[in-house]
Amino acid sequence: MSRETGLKSGTLYPILMRLAKFSLLETKWVTTEDGVPPRHTYRLSPKGIELVRSSVVAAPASAKVRRPAFSGGRA
Amino acid sequence: MMPVAYARRVATLLLRFAIWIAPHDTVDWGHGMLSELNHVQGSWAALIWAMGGAGVLAKHAVLAVILPGSHRRTVSSAGELFAKEGPMRKTTLAAIVACTVACLLFFLAPVFRQAFHVSLAQWHDVLHIRGTLDYQESDPELKGLARKADQNHDAEGLAFAAIRHWNEPESARLADEAVHLDPKLTWIYAVIAVQHSALSEIDRWVPELEQWDSQNALPHFIVAEKIDIDQVVREKIPHRVKEQPPAWQNALAAAFQSPKIDNYLGRLKELDRRILLRYHVDDPFQILGIDRWYGLPSYTAWDTSRYAKSLLESGQTLEAQGNRKGAFEKYWTVARFGQMIGPSGGFFVRRELQEAYTQLGALSEKEGNKVQAMFYSSLAAQIDNAQQEENISIQNRFRGGDVSRWNAFIARASGLMMLFSGGLLLTCALTVIARGRSLRLSSLRPGRLNLGLGLGGAIGSLLSSAMLYVSYRPYAEILHRFIRTGDDSRIPELSEFLAYAQIPLGAEQFKHLGDFVFHFWVAVTVLCILALLLVVLRHFQHRERANATI
Repeated sequence: MSRETGLKSGTLYPILMRLAKFSLLETKWVTTEDGVPPRHTYRLSPKGIELVRSSVVAAPASAKVRRPAFSGGRA
Repeated sequence: MMPVAYARRVATLLLRFAIWIAPHDTVDWGHGMLSELNHVQGSWAALIWAMGGAGVLAKHAVLAVILPGSHRRTVSSAGELFAKEGPMRKTTLAAIVACTVACLLFFLAPVFRQAFHVSLAQWHDVLHIRGTLDYQESDPELKGLARKADQNHDAEGLAFAAIRHWNEPESARLADEAVHLDPKLTWIYAVIAVQHSALSEIDRWVPELEQWDSQNALPHFIVAEKIDIDQVVREKIPHRVKEQPPAWQNALAAAFQSPKIDNYLGRLKELDRRILLRYHVDDPFQILGIDRWYGLPSYTAWDTSRYAKSLLESGQTLEAQGNRKGAFEKYWTVARFGQMIGPSGGFFVRRELQEAYTQLGALSEKEGNKVQAMFYSSLAAQIDNAQQEENISIQNRFRGGDVSRWNAFIARASGLMMLFSGGLLLTCALTVIARGRSLRLSSLRPGRLNLGLGLGGAIGSLLSSAMLYVSYRPYAEILHRFIRTGDDSRIPELSEFLAYAQIPLGAEQFKHLGDFVFHFWVAVTVLCILALLLVVLRHFQHRERANATI
């Protein structure tokens, strides 16, 4: 996510934490492989997805719409 | 330069430390950052990643300290949803404990203990624990010192206690015992007689004083004062000096003829210093006794002024009768006594001294001695300047320096803040214990309000302790220097500071201290009644709600 958005950890985490605080983001610990430490994953909540959709619709059509960082998939 | 391999290790340690200080609700995020560190490519990039994450966690830790309630843990289960208290906020509690420990550490410093003792002095009159006058009477330290001196047959220790004891019979008994052990201490009779003018022992002490120091005017003034007090008590005060009893007139005549006047303050100062050092006395209020700027019986000013005036009148009468020699002697007696009191005659015979010089000048002029006449005239002229200087000095002594006043204000305010903050902290702790119904740390769940108030109390205690220490420190040094080296040049500053420190905060607005004490207790009573009414009101409100629910 950091690579995708170009944001540093000091900027990225406050955004994630704020989104989670307002229940726009769901967090989960996921174990992927044996021996690999679990990762903290993030996913937009239904409320978050709704907010993203309404924001995209409200944005001017001429504006370049970037792929949302929190597109429902995992980070 | 840091090896590349260490950079990742430092990054991990940094994040682990940040997780340790992080408030509970961000710990999960911290672990997330730590796990993500494994997926950051490059050691330096990992370090930069960790620094950013650690910064975020540190910011939340600071915010949690300042605003304990702003970081509530995310409610994730039904059980927690209905839990009234949040979990213990480690950071806030750590800050509270750190501040409280730091505050308590101040008490290890003797200077701070002294300062705290001084800051409590303002409550003596308000709470009637001990009044200003009977302060020493119930002083356990002084009592202990007297007992120890008695056991060790230490004459100087007994004299020290006798001079400070405000219980008159006990003071006289200690003084007698001290002089019995060491007759060189006979002078303490004079110091005690000046303090306790109604003592019956004075009649016995005066002949001893006259014999011990026959050239001193002080015993004569003590005799005169005793007669004055007797007249005041019987309300038979003669208007004219000539109507005074012969004993009074003889005492004043002897005092004016005495070659010296010694209030023994120099001896007293040295005695005090030795005893403070010998018995390790660190009560700064004991120093108050050292700075006795007058040191003479309270009626001496009135007596000498009246007697000097009568001598001047006698001189004028003799001069009118043509007896210039007799007149000169009368004027000269006043002038000599005035010079003995001080360079400008002290504040109580200054006018009479000036008049004596003027009369002596006029008399010398009449006798054709112009040089002597000019000399006396110049002496008379100098008195006005000396009076101005002395007035400023006296005003400064009474008003005190601005620095002493401000420091005393800070010390009193800090003391008050310490008590308030300490009380707040204690109340919060007791509330948490009472609600947790246990003393086990794990079962204590302080609420937001308790944490906030507790933190405020802890920070308040620490800040007020530091302020008290800083404001009192210079005075502790003055005391220490006096005890160690005998340097008393700054003792008046200490006395001023202590005098101000005894006045309750806010009492300056009142004419009498009694009025302040009355208003203080009225305010306390009113507040208690209001609090009681509030409690009763809330009780009935709850009852009404409960009835409505049923």
